[in-house]
Amino acid sequence: MSGAPLLSVSGLRAGYGPIEVLHGLDFAVSEGEIVVILGANGAGKTTTMRAVSGLIARQGTIDFAGHSIGHAKPDAIVRGGISQVPQGRGTFTDLTVEDNLLAGGYTVGGSLDEDLERWYGVFPRLGERSDQKAGSLSGGEQQMLAIARAMMSRPKLLLCDEPSLGLAPLITKELFQVLGSLRDEHGMSLLIVEQNAGLSLELADRAYVLETGSIVATGTGEELLADDTVREAYLGVVS
Amino acid sequence: MSLFLERMVNGLADGSIYALVALALVVVFRSTGQLNFAQGEIGTTGAFVVSTLTLSGWPVWVSIVVAMVVGLLIAASVERVVIRPIEHRNPGAVIVALIGVFLGVNQLNAMIWGVDARRLPSVFPDGADDFVTVFGTPLRVARLGVIGVLVVLLVLLFLLFTRTKIGLAMRAVANNQESSNLVGIRVGGVLVLGWGLAGAIGVLAAVMLAPSAGLSTTLMLSPFLLGSVAAVLGGLDSPVGAVVGGLIIGVTEAFIVGYVDFLGADMLLPVMLVILLAVLLLRPSGLFGSERVERV
Repeated sequence: MSGAPLLSVSGLRAGYGPIEVLHGLDFAVSEGEIVVILGANGAGKTTTMRAVSGLIARQGTIDFAGHSIGHAKPDAIVRGGISQVPQGRGTFTDLTVEDNLLAGGYTVGGSLDEDLERWYGVFPRLGERSDQKAGSLSGGEQQMLAIARAMMSRPKLLLCDEPSLGLAPLITKELFQVLGSLRDEHGMSLLIVEQNAGLSLELADRAYVLETGSIVATGTGEELLADDTVREAYLGVVS
Repeated sequence: MSLFLERMVNGLADGSIYALVALALVVVFRSTGQLNFAQGEIGTTGAFVVSTLTLSGWPVWVSIVVAMVVGLLIAASVERVVIRPIEHRNPGAVIVALIGVFLGVNQLNAMIWGVDARRLPSVFPDGADDFVTVFGTPLRVARLGVIGVLVVLLVLLFLLFTRTKIGLAMRAVANNQESSNLVGIRVGGVLVLGWGLAGAIGVLAAVMLAPSAGLSTTLMLSPFLLGSVAAVLGGLDSPVGAVVGGLIIGVTEAFIVGYVDFLGADMLLPVMLVILLAVLLLRPSGLFGSERVERV
């Protein structure tokens, strides 16, 4: 579980124009760890992801695998080993499934044949539909495609922005199994932001609770699952 | 029959010019949602460059390649220097800026090369006896050559978009800029390249047209309008639509001028616009434009 912190973030501030959304976040992900940031709508989950990926201006320290990436551009961050599955999948809907995957491996020099084979193996449905346009896939399939596409850049850390959004409960369950297997079978570290507390906390080694741009609680997945405030706010359990 | 065939080939040749203009417009529109009003004028600049170079003794094909590079650089700088800084602050102002670029390039052409029309030699044999006879119909080599240029360009573009990494990146950026960023594509660079590519295609259109139309600062005004109509007719986000739209416009033009005496050449543009309106009433996204059906 633990080791050298792979990603370490401190004092992260970010926002849009004059509006600050994140007011100084501290969090870390160790090698081989699954970390969940739990938050409601508007808490700043997506902003956190966009800040780490370099899509928006941000202040504070972001260190990844021994390098400071707080000022790096998105393509440099992908090349450095961080890949993001965006909220709402963000697949290239007009492109075929295979072209989506090839685009995912854009930063990789050399052949992607083995990567395609590996991820078609993990997601056989994608292999069956490799020539179809991504826009014609179901929501669950698009989510799998978004994950496979993110893995094509051969990352060390996978960021997942609300992967369960808009998916049926059974599909969500399957999805979290896949995310777990990325760590167990493919040696990945994961940072997931979610509001589905039940499934995500079960999967998480550690978790943070994000409220209006600040982290208000932290602990292991089990600890937070047992926490009364968390149960009330995210699981609808009145204690 | 022989007259019909001749008009058909002439229509396809003119249509190839419109198709090139439309293609250039669509390449830019797909990735940035902008209609580059200066497209035609940049093409005219390229045709003047070819004129200057050939007059100083350069081989014509080399001159065309150089002119296409000039067009690429001008269009790429327009994106980088004019469009991008404005777009973030006020998307609506981009249209005004592009009209400004249109007028600016037009004036610069006049300042550098003057307003008098000049002759640009055809890249194809264009003498009195340079024709091939098909079904007893003499077809001019120069006209067939223009159609050939379009076909070659289409093959090259197809290979670029489907067989190369940069082509994949251009398609990805056209579809979803944020996701393109997330897979590590430098979106800004791809946008500049798209504008540049369109600039080069626009030059090709002007160079193909100038020998028959005469080279002057107004060379591309009417072809640009008809090319725009072709792009909208085909569907603004569809390269295939741009080509089909261009050819349809060219052939329709040739047949109206040839067979419908009372309309004649002067009424051409209004007739085209009526056709366009009729198509758009039936198919708002154009013949090949995508209506973006997506499951979520």
